[in-house]
Amino acid sequence: MRFVSMAFKNLRRRPVRSVLTIAGVALAVAVAVSLAGFNMGYRNAIERSIDRLGFQVMIMAKGCPYEAATMMLKGGTGLLYLPADTLNKVRSDPDIGSITPIFIGLAEKEASSISDSSGGAFAIFAGIEVQSYMEMKPWLEFETGRGFDGGRWFGAESEDEVVMGYESATYEQRKVGDKFIATISPQGQSKPVQKTFKIAGILKRTGTQDDGTVFLPLKTAQKLFNRPDELTILGIKMKQFSGAKLQEFESRWVSLPAVQVVSLQQVKSTLVMLVGTAQTMIAAVTIIAVIVALIGVINAILMSVYERTGEIGVMKAIGAFRGDIFQLIWLETLVICIIGAVAGTILAIAGSHLVESAIKKLINLGVQGSIVLINWQIVAGVLLGAIIVGFFAGLYPAWRAASMHPIDAIREGMD
Amino acid sequence: MENRKTIIEGRGLERYYHRGNETVKAVDGINIDIRTGEMVSVLGPSGSGKTTLVHLLSCLDVPTGGTLSVEGTAVTGLSEDELAGVRRKTMGFVFQKFYLLPTLTVAENVELPLLFLREKPDRALTLDTLRKVGLEDRANHLPNELSGGQMQRAAIARALIIKPRLLIADEPTGNLDSANSKSIFDLFRNLVRDQGISILITTHNLALGYLADRIITLQDGKVLKEERQPIK
Repeated sequence: MRFVSMAFKNLRRRPVRSVLTIAGVALAVAVAVSLAGFNMGYRNAIERSIDRLGFQVMIMAKGCPYEAATMMLKGGTGLLYLPADTLNKVRSDPDIGSITPIFIGLAEKEASSISDSSGGAFAIFAGIEVQSYMEMKPWLEFETGRGFDGGRWFGAESEDEVVMGYESATYEQRKVGDKFIATISPQGQSKPVQKTFKIAGILKRTGTQDDGTVFLPLKTAQKLFNRPDELTILGIKMKQFSGAKLQEFESRWVSLPAVQVVSLQQVKSTLVMLVGTAQTMIAAVTIIAVIVALIGVINAILMSVYERTGEIGVMKAIGAFRGDIFQLIWLETLVICIIGAVAGTILAIAGSHLVESAIKKLINLGVQGSIVLINWQIVAGVLLGAIIVGFFAGLYPAWRAASMHPIDAIREGMD
Repeated sequence: MENRKTIIEGRGLERYYHRGNETVKAVDGINIDIRTGEMVSVLGPSGSGKTTLVHLLSCLDVPTGGTLSVEGTAVTGLSEDELAGVRRKTMGFVFQKFYLLPTLTVAENVELPLLFLREKPDRALTLDTLRKVGLEDRANHLPNELSGGQMQRAAIARALIIKPRLLIADEPTGNLDSANSKSIFDLFRNLVRDQGISILITTHNLALGYLADRIITLQDGKVLKEERQPIK
C-alpha cells in the first residue's frame, strides 16, 4: 500500500461527500474548459470567416467599419452605400492586385415552404461581378448531384437569374432550375416589387456567409434596389499586404468623400477584442465557480480531518512523521481535484456540441463553422490548473492535520 | 530479573500542567525502569496519573522535569519528529479505541506502520503476525466485519508488525467485555513468554492488572506501591 492508494481509499469513507465535492470541481472545470474552448474556437472562427471573405481590404461608406464587417459576416440591416464611381477611381491604384465591387440588399422571401420564426423571411442579396468575385474566392464551386447538377453562373446582364448559397437553397428546398420569388423595396419607391428569379446554380457549402446568400448580377441588383450608382463595398486584394503598404494605400484614398478604407486585419483584431471583453465577464464567473469549488474542497477535507482526529493521533503514535500526515491529507485533496478535473474535461468535451448549439441558438455570432474548440493545450492547461489549485487547497487542511499533537488528537478522538 | 536489559529508564519524571493559577502535578517525581521480557501494569484510580506516565514513557508526551532514556539514549528535548523516530523503532501501541481504518482490510491495517517506515509489506509476515493474535482467517475482512475483541487483536497485530521491543497498551480492554478482556491479557502473556517483548499496560481492572509481572500503583502522580510477581 502506498500513500496514493490510501488517499483513494480514504475518499471512499464518505462516498456521497466525496462525489459531491468532486462534482463541484468537475462543474467548475467544465465551465472553464468550455469557456477556453469557446474563446479559442470563436477566435478561430472569426479569423476563418474573415479570411474566407477573400479580400484583405475593404472600401466602404463612412460609418462604423465593424458594423459593416459584421454585416458582411452575418447579414443585417441599416446598410450604407458608397458612390459606384469609387471603383473607377481606385481601380488604377498600383498596389491593388484585384478588386471586386459588391452590392448588398435585403429582400423578403416569398412562397417559402418553411416559416422563418427568427425575425422574418429575409434573404441577403449580393450583386457581384462574377469574374472579379471569383478572383477573390477561387474556391467557390457549384454543387453537384441530384437537383444540383447543371449549375452555372448567370450572365452579366441577366435580370432574372440567381445563384444561391448552399444553405439558402437547401433551407428553401430549391433545386437548380426552380423559381425563387422575392419582394424587393426599391430605394425611393413606396410600393415593393415582387420579382421571380430562376435558380441558375447552387454553390457548394463553404462554411462562410456565402452559404446563406443569394447572388445576382451587380447591375441587376443595383437596378432592382434602385441604387444604380451605389455599391456596398469594394473588396480589395493587395499585391503585397503589409501594415506599411496599407498605410500608403489608405493615405492615397483618405481624401475621397464619404468612403473609408478598412483593413480586415483591423476588423479581425477589433472583433476579437470586443468578444474578449465579453469573455472577461464570463471568465470572472468561471473564477467565482472555481473559488466556490475550492472552498468546497477545503471544507470537505477539513471535515474529514476533524472526523479522523483520533486516527491521525494513532498514526502519529505508531510512527508517522508530520510530513507523512501532511502528505496523506494533501494527496486526498489532490486526488479530488484531479478526478474532478478529468470528469469536468470529459463533461466539457461531451457537452461541447450542446454548448455550441445553445450559444448559436441564443446569439447570432456571425461566424460559420465550429465555435467551440477544445484542444490538448486547453485540456493540459486545465489539468495543470487543477493540480495547482489542489496543491494550494490541500495546504491548510494538511497543515492542520500534521500539526495535531498525538496525545491531544487521541484524547479528542476518544471523546 | 535484574540482569535483563533496560528499555525505558525514567528518573525524577515530572509532568505538571497549569490550570489557571493552579499547578496540576499529573506525574510527580517518578523513577521507573521497564526491562526486556516483562509485563508491567500501571494501576490507579482515575486522575492518578497512570495515562500521563505511560504517555511520557512512550515518548508521546514530553516531561516538564526529570530525564528519560529509551534503550540507553536520552530522549529529553527531542523534537516531535525525532520522538516519532524513537517510537517507530522501539514501540508498538494499542489504545482503548482500536482506530482501525475502516476502508482498509485487516491485513492493510496491520501493514500501516510499515508505510511510515517506508518498508514494503511482506504478506507472509503480515499473516504470521495475524496468526499470533488468532486472526489469520480475517486478513481480507474489513474492520466492520470483526467483533470488538477481534478489532483489538487486529490493533495488537498492527503494533506487532514492526517487531517492537516494547508494547504499550493504554486501557486496551476498556471497550471489551470480561471474556474478551481476559483473552487479550492471555495474548499479552503469550507474547511476553514466546516473543520476549516487554509490555506496559494501564488498566482500571485490578484483576487483569495483577496478571502482570510487576504492578505499579499510582496515586496523585506518585508511586504508591510497586509489587513484583514471580515471572510467569
